[in-house]
Amino acid sequence: MALIEKIDEISSNPRNRKAWLALACIIFAVIIVIPAIFVIFSIPTRWDEIQGVLADSDTMSIIWGAIWNSFSLAFIVTVLDIVVGLPMAWMLVRKNYRFNKYLDTFIDMPLAFPTVALGFSVMVFWGCPDGITVPGLGLVMSPYLMVVLLHLIFTYPYMVRCLSGILEQIDTNCETAAMTLGASKWTAVRTITLPLFRAGLVTGFILCFARSLSETGGTYIVLTMMGASTFDINGFFTGPTLISELRHMSQDPTSGLGDAVPELILISSLLIVFALLMLFLAKTIMTRLKIPWRKVWPRFGRRVSGKKVATAKDSLAFMFALIFILIPSFYIFVCLGTEGSYSDYGGFLSAVGTSFLVAGVATVFDIIFGIPVAMYIARNRGSKRAELLDNLVNVPLIIPTTALGFSLGLFWGGLGLSSWGVLLVIFGHISFTYPLLVRNLVGAIEEVDPSYEEIARTLGAKPFQAFRKVLLPMVKSSLLAGAVLAFTRSLGETGATQAISNTVNTVPIYIVNFINGDIPNYYAAAVSSVMLIAICFVFMFGLRIVIDRMGGKD
Amino acid sequence: MPEIVMSHVCKRFGDAVAADDLNLEVMDGEYLCILGPTGAGKTTAMRMICGLTIPDSGTITFDGEDVTQLETAKRGATMLSQQYSLFPHMSVMDNILFGPTIKEWDPEDSRIIANNLLHMVHLEARAKERPTHLSGGQQQRVALARAMASGSRILLLDEPLRALDARLRLELRKDLKSMVKSMGLTAVHVTHDQDEALEMADRIAVIRNGRILQVGTPREVFDSPATPFVANFVGRSNVLTGKVVSREGGTVSVECGGYIIKADDDKHEIGDDVVVAVKIGNTRISKTEGGWFEGRIERILYEGVSITVEMNVEGLGLVSSKLPNRKFDDYSEGDTVAVRWIPSAASVFDVPECGLEEELRVE
Repeated sequence: MALIEKIDEISSNPRNRKAWLALACIIFAVIIVIPAIFVIFSIPTRWDEIQGVLADSDTMSIIWGAIWNSFSLAFIVTVLDIVVGLPMAWMLVRKNYRFNKYLDTFIDMPLAFPTVALGFSVMVFWGCPDGITVPGLGLVMSPYLMVVLLHLIFTYPYMVRCLSGILEQIDTNCETAAMTLGASKWTAVRTITLPLFRAGLVTGFILCFARSLSETGGTYIVLTMMGASTFDINGFFTGPTLISELRHMSQDPTSGLGDAVPELILISSLLIVFALLMLFLAKTIMTRLKIPWRKVWPRFGRRVSGKKVATAKDSLAFMFALIFILIPSFYIFVCLGTEGSYSDYGGFLSAVGTSFLVAGVATVFDIIFGIPVAMYIARNRGSKRAELLDNLVNVPLIIPTTALGFSLGLFWGGLGLSSWGVLLVIFGHISFTYPLLVRNLVGAIEEVDPSYEEIARTLGAKPFQAFRKVLLPMVKSSLLAGAVLAFTRSLGETGATQAISNTVNTVPIYIVNFINGDIPNYYAAAVSSVMLIAICFVFMFGLRIVIDRMGGKD
Repeated sequence: MPEIVMSHVCKRFGDAVAADDLNLEVMDGEYLCILGPTGAGKTTAMRMICGLTIPDSGTITFDGEDVTQLETAKRGATMLSQQYSLFPHMSVMDNILFGPTIKEWDPEDSRIIANNLLHMVHLEARAKERPTHLSGGQQQRVALARAMASGSRILLLDEPLRALDARLRLELRKDLKSMVKSMGLTAVHVTHDQDEALEMADRIAVIRNGRILQVGTPREVFDSPATPFVANFVGRSNVLTGKVVSREGGTVSVECGGYIIKADDDKHEIGDDVVVAVKIGNTRISKTEGGWFEGRIERILYEGVSITVEMNVEGLGLVSSKLPNRKFDDYSEGDTVAVRWIPSAASVFDVPECGLEEELRVE
């Protein structure tokens, strides 16, 4: 209590408030942004070795192949998300089906699943991996297609959320007005509502693209189980899985690869540069993109505006979500019915401990240092500095986490901190979870009229009092949502952890090791995945209850 | 005794001037309205009084004490905003208790104060409800009680009636003022609604482009405007330009568009270019008696209690007259009528440097 009162007092001085904001910005720059892209600046120092890699045409073709796979995959997945996510978002927001409430909850669930578990689940459902007795569909398909099916699962919820968020904000009056002016339902939606969607599309596009580009654990599992990730010309890699595989092989002295650092620097830098380029392109193209509305086809519009078409569209959207998203996500539970042995509960618990430590510290850090930056961005719209900060926050979001992790390891390792494995992993997790929290908060704070805080101050509240008694309770749910998002994202992360440290054993790494070992133990992987999912749910549920209680007391 | 004194206060936001050498005194216990068009700097003036905006230069004092740089929380000036900003996550009671809680007053005393205030605004029964469940008028009363409970001597009202529907707005004008008065507060009320200002204010300060044009009682501002802008903004006026041609005592004759009109004035010489403004309510028309000039009725607007007759006068353009509604049947469109006024009802001004059109423009 005394501490809070002291902070209240300190916050009265505008100079202290500025100093606090400056500190938060410096921390943002030094801990989050600079380490994330540091790898690019290390190119000149290792140029000789990198030239060696560039000259090796076999290695280069693998590297270029992996990068092409990553970006083309992300693009295809994102476009698919838009096509199938739009009708789903529409159904959730505009229709009053009885099952909407449940659908709404279920669609978010894949987000709480660690991607390694999803990768495993998807593989078991669609494919026919050797050594697994669970009845799956047993389809034989290319690794590329399988990875598309996997990435759809964890990007789809983002797209649906983004689009439904925007859809809720769009005033239906415009659409009604268009219809009173003679437009059919379909024409009204296409010419009026869709063009208003642009902002949501940009955000959704960037989020899904980044998520797909970044994903390591699940993809790695799928590719390993398909036997596709061998480091030669026949192997199939995405950028992140290539980094993982190189890290994995470099620990094995018999592979003859050495430490593989030049290759890693090259791949990471290429991924980062292309990702940032992509972010820039997406922003410029999407903001200039005009959805043409002048051309109308009234007869076609009337024909597809009927009730039958709408019902068919809704059913298709529902079927897609069920077959391609929900069933494959939950299929892992079926594996529990198979025979196998698993007894390493001690190892699992210690991995859980590490995971929770990393995720917990990262989330708390995000909250403390993310709030001032989020407030600055939200309350200074239109200022150049806030805009710069706003764009910088997106940087760690778009960079593939494996590249980010590797870059971060180089940065802190260069400062002699490489033996502080857990701390570095925490820093890495802060980097990619920070944008999630800040993005959520910026949106929420922008919704709250600044006059609430101002009035509180004219009533005698010091700035920090006004913040914690007025603004904080009003953005509480968004802060919580952001924190849960950051926490679960950290809990499920594989690539960054792997790229930063060989020794830190979080649960996803623990699971990957079962599949990646000399003799894959699929049953153990399945059991520990399910346990992780269960822990996630119990934790989130508990957190919600605790927060609700706290809210009730106020 | 002046409670709030703003002297030589300046504030810019980039290129926009919000306060340009602004000087204003508010007396202890006074209800002062700052009246001006949108973008005139009204809200900035108010925000500087409570410290949410810090002036670039100049000083603000409360009771002789310089508060220019003092933090908002310590000023004891609280604000009632147009959307009331009742904290949605707190009950009505907790909203009212916000100030006392923040200031760590004795909880028992605070509760008594809050109960008294709730009683005063007739909302005892709603104490436990969330503010969103209340009507606009009730929310406003809670906001007022909350402001009072914080122990502030100064109340700033930022268009407090704007969000209410028209009928309620009229009723609450009197209530609001009497509540503020009965609590002995010094009030600064910002509005762009001249009727509201005329009805509620002890004194009105007319502001434009960050400058105070005139401060005076409603009657002074209405009857003796200081500039053509004030004449036309506070109650519509017919504003005509001309040249002084003769003088008889305190009355000048001005030649306007070929006509001779009369107005009381003691500041201008024969030969001066001047602007004459006369409130449309003081502009009389007649079909039988003579006048300064004649006009042809273009339109008659029925406004309820009053009617406004718009005439086209050759050489002068549109001239209007406001009459009681019982005159509605006396005139019809197309009639030719004579126009005149008593000279004491008209005001004479120098021709503004920026030109008349610019002077009268309301952004």
